Amino acid sequence: MPDSAGALVTMSGITKRFGGVLACDDAELSVGAGEVRALLGENGAGKSTLMNVLAGVITDHEGTITVAGRPCRFRGPADAQAAGIAMIHQELDLVPGLSVAENIFLGREPRTRLRTVDTRRMAAAARAQLAELGVELDPNRSVGSLRVGEQQLVEIAKALLSNALSTDARVLVMDEPTAALADAEVRLLFATIARLRERGVAIIYISHRMEEIEEIADRATVMRNGRVAGTVDPRTATRREVIELMVGRAEDEQFGHVPDADRGRVLLEVRGLAVHPSGHRPGRTDPAGIDLTVDEGEIVGLAGLMGAGRTELLETLYGAAPAGRITGSVRLGGRPYAPSGPRAALARGVGLVPEDRRGSGLQLDHSVGHNIALTALRSLCTAGVVRARRERRSVREQIAALAIRTTSAAVPVGTLSGGNQQKVVFARQLLARPRLLLLDEPTRGIDIGAKAELYRLLQRLAGEGIGILFASSELPELLGVCDRIVVLRRGRVAADLPRHRADQAAVLAAAMGSARGDQE
Amino acid sequence: MTDTARPRRFELPTDRRAIADTLFRFQSLFGLVVVFVVAVLASPQRNGELIFLSLSNLGNVVRAVSEIGIIAIGMTFVILIGGIDLSVGAVLGLSAVGTAILMVDSGWGVLPTVLVVLLIGAAFGALQGVATAVIGIQAFIVTLAGLQVARGLARIWSGGVGVPIAYGDGPQQAPPSFEILRGSINGVLPVPAVIFLVLGALAVVVLRTTAFARHVYAIGGNERAARLAGVPVTRVKIAVFTIAGLLTAVAGIIHAGQLSQGSPNDGIGYELNAIAAVVIGGTSLAGGVGTMSGTLAGALLLGILTNILGLNNIDANIQLLITGLVIVAAAGLQKLRRTVT
Repeated sequence: MPDSAGALVTMSGITKRFGGVLACDDAELSVGAGEVRALLGENGAGKSTLMNVLAGVITDHEGTITVAGRPCRFRGPADAQAAGIAMIHQELDLVPGLSVAENIFLGREPRTRLRTVDTRRMAAAARAQLAELGVELDPNRSVGSLRVGEQQLVEIAKALLSNALSTDARVLVMDEPTAALADAEVRLLFATIARLRERGVAIIYISHRMEEIEEIADRATVMRNGRVAGTVDPRTATRREVIELMVGRAEDEQFGHVPDADRGRVLLEVRGLAVHPSGHRPGRTDPAGIDLTVDEGEIVGLAGLMGAGRTELLETLYGAAPAGRITGSVRLGGRPYAPSGPRAALARGVGLVPEDRRGSGLQLDHSVGHNIALTALRSLCTAGVVRARRERRSVREQIAALAIRTTSAAVPVGTLSGGNQQKVVFARQLLARPRLLLLDEPTRGIDIGAKAELYRLLQRLAGEGIGILFASSELPELLGVCDRIVVLRRGRVAADLPRHRADQAAVLAAAMGSARGDQE
Repeated sequence: MTDTARPRRFELPTDRRAIADTLFRFQSLFGLVVVFVVAVLASPQRNGELIFLSLSNLGNVVRAVSEIGIIAIGMTFVILIGGIDLSVGAVLGLSAVGTAILMVDSGWGVLPTVLVVLLIGAAFGALQGVATAVIGIQAFIVTLAGLQVARGLARIWSGGVGVPIAYGDGPQQAPPSFEILRGSINGVLPVPAVIFLVLGALAVVVLRTTAFARHVYAIGGNERAARLAGVPVTRVKIAVFTIAGLLTAVAGIIHAGQLSQGSPNDGIGYELNAIAAVVIGGTSLAGGVGTMSGTLAGALLLGILTNILGLNNIDANIQLLITGLVIVAAAGLQKLRRTVT
């Protein structure tokens, strides 16, 4: 299928093993200049490995790479960059302590005549590059103070700038660039991609979002089990065809929704919740008067643009927000609820699946079993000693119930795929038997199969009477899964839409406000 | 695969990989065995017998490492949460001075003296724990300050001079029962060695089986995730520093007993030896990864090394040099492990 004639970059026979696992198995890919190629596949299908080979991150592989007709053998990312290949990794490679501009120019800072760093030129160039992306961001702000979505944009600016330095061949690999972006930023990114395509840049775009791929990709290559399962035209191929290529089976009901049942009593009742932070916190949108309820067995979606205050609301409800005075009233199960910290929240039956599972959710070096058991350790102990058999049984039950794919409970959780890592975070919370689950972007960066499983899990949990508050940047999943959608905007509730009144347009309109871009 | 590609990883065939993994996992234990064998081979002889292997010498090895070993047990907890305790050498000095003064000058009995000294060590550790866990100052800074404070207290309390311990029932004499620390069981196993081995075994069990230990590992692995999972992070951190202080006081009491004196300059540099034992034992200074058995093996390895070098009359400065190289080798092996497996 790949016609290597006229292709800007061709990879063939790429094979790479990690231990006993065959991550890439004779994979091939050929992308032309000015082409946007989507790369799809379930987690563990080999997409990231293949792209890491292309970007020179993985060097001990079999197979060949040809860029602009020349065979290449990269000995490191620097070689790949010199050949005009830049990659934006899924896990961001930014230094939190440095500023936006310093990050963009890391390792190739412009110098003055005295060989010191020319900070003024650097800031100006960074600002210009960000402006080209359509982003307004102070280049002197420290990256650590930015939201994940903003950091992603910085990463894109950084990659584009490094790519612009090389001359001929230009390939930009994006590993799920929109995973952390709200819809407005996705529009910006797509505009940038269109501009780059006109300039003849070849773009390889890894994503799990079908609608995005249909919109921007010229062709879509699907990987399965380390091999290329097929390449299709996303405009003519049906989703069913693509999903079948990905999973080798038909996906019937992605969201698996059950009809509205009689729901239980009010579980969570928030009235006028506001946080008055001690000290100025840039980049945070604290709750500024929020009213909402979650019934037992109800799934309430939390929508909003980036910076609308979804994460901050969930953190406040979990007692995990930075210090600040809290006003308003929160009642859980009819009793006042003001958790002093996560421990107190868990004791009242509230669980949180945090936004950044690697940074806040897991001990990556530790085993799957220890990770799952952590929250519920006290119930697995007698006199402070962990009962090994009881723990093993509980862990096994969770692994089975959530269909966590792992060779054993003893392997480090960091070796699992993103979707399975997320299931471990869920398992950890579920073992503590919560009544209310707070979910912050739980499906970010996980494949479509694992997403469908998580949706079914949420339905099952709701069926058991657990109330769920589900924050997500992906509107389709909120619309598909939730009984009701609460739209936040600048720390306030902009709309509270029952399912039959919620659609993409209504939610977006509420999230953006009546007049777009108004400054309150 | 082409020859032009230089694999940056150290590739091993899959079947050997498992062997390598086992070797690395028990690195300190294998290191201990290797050093032991080398010591046997290098041992001078007396009357046709290897001095190193004599029961009295082996007992001496364990006795000599008992103080550092007991401190290293506490240090392991501290390092596992991603912290460090630089104050232990000075706290040992303070404890030794306290032991001598309370018994000799104040005329206290053994039991009240031991209890009060243990309390002093634990309280000192707890205060350092509060400073790191509650106020949020880095452990390095807190315990560096703690080192100065403890050393200062020891000098003030003792008037800057060592307090000799004489045994007897009269005034200015310590109870003879305290001399037990200089004795041994069956004339073979010195009492300090017994205390070390018992505490070590206890610590191995604690670190393997308790919820507390899981919390310690979880904090070192990812403190934020641990907090969000309901781990009482502040409480566990304070407890860990308290344990370190308490165990250091135990070592201080043993020190006073072994030397029959308490000097404010006792224990200088002990913190580095304790950290060395932990690192040789394979515990990561980044926290979250490590074992207690590794630490015990690391302490014994250092003890055997010192012993065999001493038996061969090798200059103390060269001993220092060799110890340094062993630490680097151990840390290098850990790094290699991450690359290979």
